[in-house]
Amino acid sequence: MTIDPKYFELIQAEIDGEIDDAGKAELENFLAESEEGRTVYEELETLCRSLDSLPPLEPPAHLRHVLLNQAPVKAPPQPSPSLLQRLFSGPLLGYVGVFAAGVALTLALLDSGQISRDAFDDVTGLVGTIADSRHLASEHGTISIDESEVAGTVTLRSAGPLLIVDFDLSARQPVEIVAGYSDKTIWFNGFAQLESTGTSIAAETGAVTVRMEGKRRYAVYLNNPGMRPARIDLRFMANDEVIHEAQLSFSETE
Amino acid sequence: MSEPNDTKLMERCSNGDRQAFEMLLARYEKPVFNAAYRMLNSPDDARDVTQTVFLKVYEHLEQYDPKYRFFSWIYRITLNESINWLKKTNRLDALEGDTADSASGPEQEASNQQLSEGMQAALMTISPDYRAVIVLKHLLGCSYQEISEVLEISEKMVKSRLYTARQLLQQTLTERGLH
Repeated sequence: MTIDPKYFELIQAEIDGEIDDAGKAELENFLAESEEGRTVYEELETLCRSLDSLPPLEPPAHLRHVLLNQAPVKAPPQPSPSLLQRLFSGPLLGYVGVFAAGVALTLALLDSGQISRDAFDDVTGLVGTIADSRHLASEHGTISIDESEVAGTVTLRSAGPLLIVDFDLSARQPVEIVAGYSDKTIWFNGFAQLESTGTSIAAETGAVTVRMEGKRRYAVYLNNPGMRPARIDLRFMANDEVIHEAQLSFSETE
Repeated sequence: MSEPNDTKLMERCSNGDRQAFEMLLARYEKPVFNAAYRMLNSPDDARDVTQTVFLKVYEHLEQYDPKYRFFSWIYRITLNESINWLKKTNRLDALEGDTADSASGPEQEASNQQLSEGMQAALMTISPDYRAVIVLKHLLGCSYQEISEVLEISEKMVKSRLYTARQLLQQTLTERGLH
């Protein structure tokens, strides 16, 4: 090509809609006289049109929910906190409060005959786990659900003998999730939820059933005393119909 | 009622307003995801980068300087995170992008699809710096001045990078019989 570089710049500016009046006039004169210039213009315009028409992709349906839930909750600034507020302003105590609420809710709903009273002894461990599970617990797998009724993820983690089933879901309508485990030596160890209320839970031998609606982040704790390989069968139901099934597995070698 | 602007939403986010964050997400989730996708050529990687971008935005709310436009901040994070991802996965060097299947039928739709795939493959053959200006200009619709703000380079450099990037793309597409 023997075109003066300044005309390349003008052609590009014209196609990009960034040319001024003087440049436009200069370019028009040049293009009227230069066939080579017109060819360059057409080629660049075609390329830019192709680039402009690249189709946008839709992000995965549950991504927004995941993004919302991964954002840590920032408390609004408090002008003059009371002593009680200061005491509970630390994250650890905050989670203790949340966990206590979860345990209270659980105790209210559970058939007490199914629970070992020792199950709630290790409150500190549970609080640490839910507060910072990514650092304190090993991850054994995540399933994604992307149904019209419910979307999000469920992750299985473990910390010592604790299995932590971490639900991060958004449901448009009431849904019921049954987490079944066939190993009878595993028992329900607790429940905690973050930033939300209104999730109910019921446990029986071999299964925990959670009912929820809206955006929810909560964890079900199972005690696996022998740390044996285990499988959690998840069944999602809405309007008494199964809408999704998935499995999560814990392997002792992991 | 008019939608609150980005700066107002960021201010509300800093005060713990989750709804404001949700509105920013609704506004920027798709462009961020698509920019990452065009940089990385993988929807899964784009999803992960999008997650990182919004987490960073949320974690660094206090560092946002309202005298700059929010989009330039979030797009800069997106492009930087995409480049970091390429580094992490040893894909920083321009790749020999997959050639689109030239055996496709003559139908217009198939031809468009072929061109679109060919273009994405060609994008992967240019360096991330050049790819970034193409993404900002053609996917996110930024002006020279906005690109200069996002990338923190002069407008002259923007024009120069755009010019070179387009030349390289055109060359690749021509070689592959797609242009």
